Amino acid sequence: MSALLSVQGVCKAFGGVQALQACELEVHEGQINGLIGPNGSGKTTLFNVITGYERIQQGSVAFNGTEITNAPPDRVFALGIGRTFQLTRIFGRLTVLENMLIATQRRESWLRSLVRRAGSSAERRRAMELLEFVGIARLAGEPAGTLSFGQRKLLELASLLVADPSVLLLDEPAGGVNPTLIGHLADRIAELNRAGKTFLIVEHNMEFVMGLCHRVTVLNQGSMLVSGSPEEVRTNPAVLDAYLGGAGDGGGARDGGGARAGGATREPAPPAREPAPPAREPGPPAREPAAAPAPAAAPALLTLRGVYAGYGGGDILKDVTIDVPEGGITCIVGPNGAGKSTMLAAISGLLRVRRGEIAFAGRRISGRSPREILDLGIALVPQVHSLFPDMTVRENVEMGAFTIDDRALVRKRLAAVEELYPIVRERAGERAGSLSGGQQRLVEFARCLMLEPNLIILDEPSMGLDPHTREIVFEMVTLMNRQGRTILLVEQNARAGLRLSTHGVVLENGMVRLTGSGRDVLEHPEIGALYLGGAVTADAAVP
Amino acid sequence: MIHPGARTAAARPPGTLLRRGLLGGVIAVGLVVLGIFPLVVTDPTATSIAFFTVVFMGAVSAWNIFSGYSGYLALGHAVFFGSGGYAVALAARDWHVSGGWAVFGLLPFGGLIAAAVAIPFGLIALRTRRHTFVVVTIAIFFIFQLAAFNLGFTGGTSGIQLPFAPFSPTTYNNPFYYVAAIILVLTVILSWAVRRSRFGLQLLSIRDDEDRARGLGVHTRRVKLAAFMISAFPVGMLGGLYFYFIGQIFPQYAYDPLFDVSLALMGFLGGIGTISGPLLGALVLESLQQYFTQKFSANGLYLIIYGVLFLAVILILPGGVVPGVAGLVRRWRVRTQRQSAEAADAAPRGVAGAIP
Repeated sequence: MSALLSVQGVCKAFGGVQALQACELEVHEGQINGLIGPNGSGKTTLFNVITGYERIQQGSVAFNGTEITNAPPDRVFALGIGRTFQLTRIFGRLTVLENMLIATQRRESWLRSLVRRAGSSAERRRAMELLEFVGIARLAGEPAGTLSFGQRKLLELASLLVADPSVLLLDEPAGGVNPTLIGHLADRIAELNRAGKTFLIVEHNMEFVMGLCHRVTVLNQGSMLVSGSPEEVRTNPAVLDAYLGGAGDGGGARDGGGARAGGATREPAPPAREPAPPAREPGPPAREPAAAPAPAAAPALLTLRGVYAGYGGGDILKDVTIDVPEGGITCIVGPNGAGKSTMLAAISGLLRVRRGEIAFAGRRISGRSPREILDLGIALVPQVHSLFPDMTVRENVEMGAFTIDDRALVRKRLAAVEELYPIVRERAGERAGSLSGGQQRLVEFARCLMLEPNLIILDEPSMGLDPHTREIVFEMVTLMNRQGRTILLVEQNARAGLRLSTHGVVLENGMVRLTGSGRDVLEHPEIGALYLGGAVTADAAVP
Repeated sequence: MIHPGARTAAARPPGTLLRRGLLGGVIAVGLVVLGIFPLVVTDPTATSIAFFTVVFMGAVSAWNIFSGYSGYLALGHAVFFGSGGYAVALAARDWHVSGGWAVFGLLPFGGLIAAAVAIPFGLIALRTRRHTFVVVTIAIFFIFQLAAFNLGFTGGTSGIQLPFAPFSPTTYNNPFYYVAAIILVLTVILSWAVRRSRFGLQLLSIRDDEDRARGLGVHTRRVKLAAFMISAFPVGMLGGLYFYFIGQIFPQYAYDPLFDVSLALMGFLGGIGTISGPLLGALVLESLQQYFTQKFSANGLYLIIYGVLFLAVILILPGGVVPGVAGLVRRWRVRTQRQSAEAADAAPRGVAGAIP
């Protein structure tokens, strides 16, 4: 069977980050294909490359035997490839029905389109049928901007169907959608597939992917890791390694994959690292000084008590209670959409807490402004790179102390930071945007140290970094911790994150699933199921 | 499970008939006022104010066809205004068109030249978006102004005289007024036709999300350029008419930065992207400005009132008058509907209240 859509050897880099690396993908006609992989593995970038939103220098994309590498989006659509976006994109100021009348695969002159009324009666009827099909026909006259998130997803899908594309690329169709609607969406996709449509679906909801897809392809660090039936993928240990950040790099994960049977209960076995039994105090190997002292000893610096928070209508965090012990490294892990970033936003004051309380060093901080919380000594290094790209490295670091008026103090702190991060001195005059991803990360750490915070919150510090750089970043995390700063870490690379942490918290669906020492959580048998779908019992807390 | 919007959509039909009637009434009254104004108010000062006002209403409507529908804020439409003016002036001079009605026949030529100018202008400027686009349109505008000062055929700073119109002194303004009114009506019809066409919907989709529009097969470049040309045409005609009325054309008036800014201000005041908003904005601002200029001559006092009015509208109705008022009406209607629905719910509880 030849592929309807095939991607060969595609490479794409953004600044220092290699988003796609000799990526391969085949989509067969009439199938529902799943595309999964950890955060930053290049899924959305691959979509953008196929649909002409990103240009590539290397590799090729072919559709139905026609080369479409770097074809513009309108041409790609005209050939019959439609796509949706991860952050749903609709035309908010047009009505729902008008949204349905835009898609076109026709090539008509603008003069003709000027004299033709938008939407002939046949087109309107067809549009209404499709709105009926996805279940939002009664909203046809409403401005699309008033729709809920889930309804927007349905509208986005329906507005593609108007032009009858033969392949549909859906970017996280179930992301942020409530479970009933997810079921509805899956039914619609299956029905369209029976009618002959081919799908390529990026999705983090594993039940959705595994239940719906005929074939699943896993991306890891910009390359295809495996491709096969859902069952093959689910039982392939290399896949779990990719999600949990197993042996450090893709190659290692693949090597380890064949030898071991079950992914979930495996010991982490990186080279040069000592696999420790759960209960034991691990003898710190050369580069792992921080792992797991007894968790109960230290008092909590930051506490969350019954916290509810969310965006728009729904709560993302539901009754979250966590202690972050002073002087430790607490790592929060969990599948995408679990509420990790939302929790950090709530702590740093960027998101209002609806119920519950957050306290820092005994003082209530929920309800305070981000600025006040920063002044109390909580610094956040966000997930996306946050340096000012056109300012120099030194200026960026100095910006970290812009609330301090005392010049001498700033100079002193800068000297101390330069001591710890030689890169700040070595590259002082260079544009921050010219640094690689890992270097930028280090400068961001340096910047947050300028305020000498008591608590440093790191949101996915290793994201998009190659294994070696990741090691360096993690070393710096441990080093900062050893200098007395409490660290709260959110990490997609669960294994690496938990290994260097004293405490681990597993979040799923906005609720705390597991807590315990880093190693306890790491070796808990449920954790594999959490990431790759399957039953997770509600009472799975580690004592 | 997926129909929380049902409440607002349900009670729509009864309103539409009333609204259509109201709209028809407003249009009829507007047309009658437009038609008889200089016959009722014969004072030449008043009719000249009316002429300038109608010219700006047409120009802002035309500007809105591009900037309002596509969301691209163009600050270079004076290029079309001036180019149309020069085209008519040069044509009248070189083709020896004598003053009178014949010059009005040259206006479509002025429009065509403006639309032709829009092609290279658009090809360059429309490669950019948002703020860059605004800056590029301003830059191109200044290139044209500079060229008009320095090129031989424009007459440089001494400008070009247009033929003298031999109309009766008492009703001298009226022919100009009526030609402007015709252009205005045609421009509004054009604006309405664009709004309801496939083409117009594509323009609006570009305004809301250009990248997604491309992904749905909209040829965004072509659509934007075509809209730019369509928008230039009436402005070019009005430029020809305006300078015929003035009697001469100079670079600093033909390519006047204040014209660019005025169009945008009037558009925003009334509400860009609507059909009536630009009309309202130009009606209020241009007539006020002309009135104050005539009354207090050039002491600039009117600018203060102008500024206060503008600030007040932008603060109270940030989207412009028309969308702002429409929003208020909509909210009010939803509220009254909900209240009446609640009242209806409360009363016959025993009968229909059981439906979840």
